[in-house]
Amino acid sequence: MLRKATGTLRFDLVDGTKESSWSVAVKKGDVSVSQTKGKADCVVTTDRPLFDAIVRGERNAFAAILRGEIRMEGDPELLVLFQRVFAGPAESIARREAVLAGKSS
Amino acid sequence: MSDLVQILDGNTFVVSDANGDIEASLTDPTGLFSFDTRFLSKWILTLNGERLNPLSVDDLQYFETRFFLVPGTGTVYVDAKLSVIRRRAVGDGFHEELTILNHDEKPVDITVRLEAASDFADLFEVKDALQKKGKYSTKVGKGSLRLGYDRETYSRQTSISASAPATYDEKGVTLVAHIEPHGVWTTDLDVVTAVGAGGTYTKPKYRRDGRRARPNMERSLDKWLEDAPRLESDWEPLKTTYRRSLVDLAALRFAPPVMGGKSLPAAGLPWFMTMFGRDSIFTSLQSLPFTPELAATTLLALGDWQGSRLDDFRDEDPGRILHEMRYGEMTAFEERPHSPYYGAADATMLYVVLLDEYERWTGDRKLVRDLEHQARAALTWINEYADLMGNGYVSYQRRNEETGLENQCWKDSWDSISYSNGEIPGFPRATCELQGYAYDAKVRGARLARLVWKDPAYADQLEQEAADLKRRFNRDFWVEDGGYFALALDNEGKQVDALSSNNGHLLWSGIVEKKKAKAVVANLMGPRLFSGWGIRTLAEGEGRYNPIGYHVGTVWPFDSSFVAWGLQRYGFKNEAAQIAAGILDAAECFQGRLPEAFGGYARSLTKYPVQYPTACSPQAWSTGAPLLLIRTMLGLEPLGEHLVIDPVLPAGIGRLELLDIPGRWGRIDAFGRGRGPVAEGGSRRQLGFVEAIMPKAKRKKPRVTA
Repeated sequence: MLRKATGTLRFDLVDGTKESSWSVAVKKGDVSVSQTKGKADCVVTTDRPLFDAIVRGERNAFAAILRGEIRMEGDPELLVLFQRVFAGPAESIARREAVLAGKSS
Repeated sequence: MSDLVQILDGNTFVVSDANGDIEASLTDPTGLFSFDTRFLSKWILTLNGERLNPLSVDDLQYFETRFFLVPGTGTVYVDAKLSVIRRRAVGDGFHEELTILNHDEKPVDITVRLEAASDFADLFEVKDALQKKGKYSTKVGKGSLRLGYDRETYSRQTSISASAPATYDEKGVTLVAHIEPHGVWTTDLDVVTAVGAGGTYTKPKYRRDGRRARPNMERSLDKWLEDAPRLESDWEPLKTTYRRSLVDLAALRFAPPVMGGKSLPAAGLPWFMTMFGRDSIFTSLQSLPFTPELAATTLLALGDWQGSRLDDFRDEDPGRILHEMRYGEMTAFEERPHSPYYGAADATMLYVVLLDEYERWTGDRKLVRDLEHQARAALTWINEYADLMGNGYVSYQRRNEETGLENQCWKDSWDSISYSNGEIPGFPRATCELQGYAYDAKVRGARLARLVWKDPAYADQLEQEAADLKRRFNRDFWVEDGGYFALALDNEGKQVDALSSNNGHLLWSGIVEKKKAKAVVANLMGPRLFSGWGIRTLAEGEGRYNPIGYHVGTVWPFDSSFVAWGLQRYGFKNEAAQIAAGILDAAECFQGRLPEAFGGYARSLTKYPVQYPTACSPQAWSTGAPLLLIRTMLGLEPLGEHLVIDPVLPAGIGRLELLDIPGRWGRIDAFGRGRGPVAEGGSRRQLGFVEAIMPKAKRKKPRVTA
């Protein structure tokens, strides 16, 4: 990822009554993920369905934070850096592909 | 707007009338604002039901002010038995010390009332007057009044409390003051903002007991001024302007939540106290020789938020640098795209330009290494995402057609890009300065690739691309019979042939072939573009020219400062000094604080620069303009580990010294001397120039800067 990013980011995801935790350890850009609830520099708490939608590019993470749908404790910079891996909206990607196809034809 | 009082700390600010009262309406944008939300829209002080009258306002600091008031609504205060002092400091909300003095020989009993309310409007709503979709609430407690607003999971609150015994109700707070003859009564009022459900309030920031108010900034204003280079000159107004610029730059500091307290320049006070890619970068460039840490934070924060995906609503692409970030309700509910919004065509290239310029000044290679990924992504964006017409030029066309920006260059008003005959081209538009910035980004990116990233093959590639771009640009954009570069290429690749100030940015970028520079300079300094004060955005005689048109004839100090830098780069030092003279003369007319823009009227016609009415003052890049002009007058240019000093001063400035310039050399002093007679009293109300004599530089022991 990014050279200067180092720290642990934990996602506490609530799905109905179940909660699962994922820890993302970032060391100078290298990322390792484990399903543990350990100490973290930034803890992000949100609903599982919303989180899945963000990862797929259907929802925007920062707008969800402003709405209070994502709660965040600790160093927000890690989350800002990590959210780069989330996809964009499928329509946006399809539109560009169409434009590129039009150019090459 | 001019009679309104503003104080701020980061993106929290209070706008009130001269009484200190807030009474927001559609035409009266007063209030307590934080993170783009109005947390207080009413705050009215009455004594025994009567409003007060202002005697004077003391602007103590940019974050602190004091209002002196008396009761009564008459015009003559022959019998004011009471006076009132409201001392207000902004922090996480604001703290107000209310003091009432009884000047009478009898004791008095007074009902002190503060009416309070909040509309929790988004800044965008304040501008556009839109209806709210959520629910308001009021909670009256024993020790406080809490105002709230909720829409789904979105929640914002304001808490109001007083230190003296008080009664709270849904519309405010009432206190009873008994004051002995010649006595004093006082209370502290705290207005604290909170975000999120449950409302975790930060503690009021200020206390009266010995703790002076100070801003949420890592460095105090005193330290800020002390760390900046010292300026000495025989022309007094320059000292005033320089100090004003430094103080305003301090006020414009904004600490984005991801930066751990470090700050970057926001765009303008108060409505644009947020991160803007373009404005933050241009201001960082202007202030590099003076306050280089602003550039570092700008690079880090914009790098963190660099685009990483395709998102049409936000006009986001991988590698693109953001245009504007907002935190209000409309952004939260995606009714506006500022989370963040990426619709700027120039910020990404300017990002690389700033990174290189920053290294040249500071020698901070660690930052250049840390940001290698971001810089490469930015350079990749130029070729992969910015060439919308497939013709090898950077162009723009918004994908968010509802709330995106049409013109994604710095001249962003609807009619800023036009042909000579006044017609407006279609989209995409490839404005000329974008090509200059792209060229400069490639050249500078190549230097960083070779020097810091140790990737000579990439450096070669970038240099080849830059050379190719320069060759094509000088062929395709050159208006042969005019001797200048066209404003843009339109969607058919034809020249948008108006003459504009953008030519100066082209000089700054280095894309102009040497043999063409003379003709370009003749146009810039000719009567169509040079007003005597500065460079008009659009030349006189063009179809859309209007001396008070936002981007079609006014003079922008920021724009002129970059034109001056461009002139200096191509060796036209006297011309650069002439522009410095005009803009700095104008600054004197505005007590050192340059407006965003002023009228393009010829100087000989108006004798005085006519300010363009705008809501934001100070504006960051106008504040930075005198700083950049000081740099160009002294001819400061980092070269390896040294600072080259090659001054040319305008007529009237006999002596200019900038002491303790920070950089990779430690601290160094620069001296410029004018040649020829200097008018007595230092007056230089004339254009023209005198060449400087020999530059002198004295190396100092390196000093670690804070």
